[in-house]
Amino acid sequence: MSQKKEKDLDITIKSTSRDLLAFMKLTANRKKRFERASSEPIRSDPMNELAHSLHPIRQYLVIKSIKDETKTTKTFKLIPNTELGTKELAYFRPGQYLSLKVNVNGIDITRPYSIASSPNDALEGFYELTIRKEENGFLTKQIWDQWKVGTQIESSGPEGFFYFDPLRDSKQIVGIAGGSGITPFRSIIKAIIKETIDAKLTLLYGSSEEDDIIFYNEFKALEKQFPEKLKIVYILSCEIVSLEGCEQGFITADIIRKYCDVDNSSFFLCGPQIMYNFVEKELTKFNLPSRRIRREAFGEVKDVLDLPGFPHEIAEKSFKMTVHMGEMTKEIPALATESLIIAMERAKLAPPSKCRSGECGFCRSLLISGEVYVNPISDWRRAADKKFGYIHPCSSYPLSDLEIKVPKQIGN
Amino acid sequence: MTKSISKEKNRSFDVIVIGAGNGGLVAAARVAMKGAKVILLEQHNLPGGFASSFVRGRFEFETSLHELYDYSTPGNKGGIRILFEDRLNIDAEFVPVPEAYRLIVTNPDEKIDAVLPFGIEAFIKAVEKEVPGSEDSVRKFFQLGKEIDQATTYIGQMRGNPDQDVLLREHTNFLRTAAYPVDDVQDALNIPKKARAMLNAYWLYLGVPTSRVNTTVFAAMVHGYILKGAYIPKMRSHEYTSAIEAKIREYDGTVEYNTRVEKILVKEGKVIGIQTNKGEIIDTNHVICNASPTLTYNKLIHPKSEVPEIALKEINARTHGVTTIVVYMGLDTTAEKLGLKDYSYFICDTMDTDQLYDSLINLEVPKVQASLCLNNAIPNCSPPGTCIISITSAFRPGAWDKVKPEEYFKVKTKIADGLIENFEKATGTKIRNHIEEIEVATPQTFSRFTGTYNGVIYGYELESWDSIVPRLQNMNDEKHIEGLEFCGGFGKRGHGYSSSLKDGETAALFTIQSLMKEGIIK
Repeated sequence: MSQKKEKDLDITIKSTSRDLLAFMKLTANRKKRFERASSEPIRSDPMNELAHSLHPIRQYLVIKSIKDETKTTKTFKLIPNTELGTKELAYFRPGQYLSLKVNVNGIDITRPYSIASSPNDALEGFYELTIRKEENGFLTKQIWDQWKVGTQIESSGPEGFFYFDPLRDSKQIVGIAGGSGITPFRSIIKAIIKETIDAKLTLLYGSSEEDDIIFYNEFKALEKQFPEKLKIVYILSCEIVSLEGCEQGFITADIIRKYCDVDNSSFFLCGPQIMYNFVEKELTKFNLPSRRIRREAFGEVKDVLDLPGFPHEIAEKSFKMTVHMGEMTKEIPALATESLIIAMERAKLAPPSKCRSGECGFCRSLLISGEVYVNPISDWRRAADKKFGYIHPCSSYPLSDLEIKVPKQIGN
Repeated sequence: MTKSISKEKNRSFDVIVIGAGNGGLVAAARVAMKGAKVILLEQHNLPGGFASSFVRGRFEFETSLHELYDYSTPGNKGGIRILFEDRLNIDAEFVPVPEAYRLIVTNPDEKIDAVLPFGIEAFIKAVEKEVPGSEDSVRKFFQLGKEIDQATTYIGQMRGNPDQDVLLREHTNFLRTAAYPVDDVQDALNIPKKARAMLNAYWLYLGVPTSRVNTTVFAAMVHGYILKGAYIPKMRSHEYTSAIEAKIREYDGTVEYNTRVEKILVKEGKVIGIQTNKGEIIDTNHVICNASPTLTYNKLIHPKSEVPEIALKEINARTHGVTTIVVYMGLDTTAEKLGLKDYSYFICDTMDTDQLYDSLINLEVPKVQASLCLNNAIPNCSPPGTCIISITSAFRPGAWDKVKPEEYFKVKTKIADGLIENFEKATGTKIRNHIEEIEVATPQTFSRFTGTYNGVIYGYELESWDSIVPRLQNMNDEKHIEGLEFCGGFGKRGHGYSSSLKDGETAALFTIQSLMKEGIIK
């Protein structure tokens, strides 16, 4: 641009003197506006209030009742523990979980459990968690021994991304559940029949024994009542099958094709790792786009030795882990085959965690030195976290002595 | 104080920075680099505030940045590149955005669909092509933008106390327009209506209609973007925020996450410490606060008797800027297959910005959106065969106030659905059958992750009476508590990434000056 043109610019809005005066008076006029304004404090903040009610940091709950579902499964009905300040329960999306914070033999741990009740039930004042007793279960043994009506439970808000989204998913849902992976589907079913989810569900539910089927009678009744919305097929891996509506064997491609509109459905998978391994292989036969298949996070990995690339030669080793948390520094042992989160829990450090699957990032910590193995199936770290040495301890295993900085629990 | 006295002494720092948003991060890094003992406290477990990222499935989404302003080329560094490369020396890579924007106005009476390029002459030509005869008037607007930039640089150099004679002699056009909104100036320049529409698409980045938004801020912004281009971080904003955090640690600064400051302790008009949500009291005489004055004076200052009346009046005299809704989508097809060639799309019913602004108070599908196809700036930002699209729109604070928790998911789904539909209609693409991951952030989400007052993202509205000119001129008179500096989007430079980053640097500078005076640092 030429110098000449630049000099040409000569803007007048009202008149030269009035424009300049307007500028000169900016500060004085502004001061006047401030002085004239109200000095009333702002007391309401609706979006922070909504955030607090949808995503409370903690929910204090108490067991209202306990129902035996099967010989190894119980449903715990939880209501707000008003004495500790929880007045109402957070609403949620069916399929989400609660991360319970429990003290087992003096050790604070967390465990994610899918909510088995519906969002409407939360408005009515309760959640239901259906829990299966695990063999050698660290927590479930305590639950069976100690959880009674009146027991106080501390929980997170609703968490997780395993839910139906009408913007993304087909209105035909195929649910594939294994064992106690059935629990989020109970919530989804309740929402479908209450019409808070506009979709129909075909559920393929695998169990090892007839006795292990959870919610059998309840689901049978609902199926009869809402045949156009609900179809449930029980697949049993045991030899003899006598119950109505059951298939014998595993959830194979043939079974899926027999009961489902494969090409027009969204598949939701929830179950143990072994089920994912099997069913996902079967699903590859349909060549479905990945947007059609959603899976709930694994939770705790039980057989880390089976993970791809895990160095078996160090499996027996124990390393030294230096943990910085706030002002505190502590040296603790870390077993090669246990996640760093477990090592810290054992050492009674009560690190933050929720999903225990590498997904939510709540335990995100800085690896100052040393090396870790990160479970490649559940590595949900941000690209820059990888670049700057941040890890998710719940999906990381020590490969050497190491030093990490962990945030404290968010607290109240 | 409520907490009983513990055995040990309180921790003590030269400087406490509250909040690890853009402003807080830069402030903490600058103060640490000067050798002060600093702690940065952040309630979330990540740095960045609004400048962040999140992962869903195989996608990592940018939370809020569209285009970083004032970065520019290595050969002709903008202020933010200078800050990042020369002052902070951080390890983060930025890539240029290919075009300024594609503007699509759908209303048949105004119909526009044009791609506006970076480069002032190229931009003017593109407008001239659509609006013959607009060239001279549009060029004048850019010329004004340039002169404003020169004037504000001069005022900055004079630290807010410019020589009035120099201003009168050399920065006349800046002076004459500083008290007026954009419409008045564009009227005076006789810019044709359609050319204005093409020129004013960035109004959404300020969130105030052209009838009210201050000319100084707007013209400088348009000029700066078109002259210098825009950049985005290669690994999303989480990359540079993590890089600044690493720098703070390198200089022995302390960063603590999951730690919410609940009280700023004040005694006789002076900061004496803070109290966290864990009940810990930390002593300091210097707080740099990345939280807004709205939150700080209404909630944080303790005791309440230490809240100056004028501070509340200043807040109440202003209008809180807009909040946003963002629909993040990971698609299982490529931008190329969809026929999307551009990075940034402004899509609206009309370019009557008053009408658009007024409608943003309603809880309905906004008639304006700013959408991005990230892969058209960073081709490998998602796995091969996929792409990332995000749709952003605005709401005025208040629009979502009555939404109940049990209605929330339905409401946001409905609005997101409408925004997707509008995007598809305007661009002629079909994205709905390719959605592999979707997430919708609302005003609630922004409050949840940052604690911002009522979901507000854009700071206080930049009208002429309270534009950055009077704010910068009076910044020294508007400090009400000794030892308390603000930084961030509610600050002296207005909102936006670049403004907030620079404001962090200014807050650090003031604090460093005080620390030097007190003999705490050299």
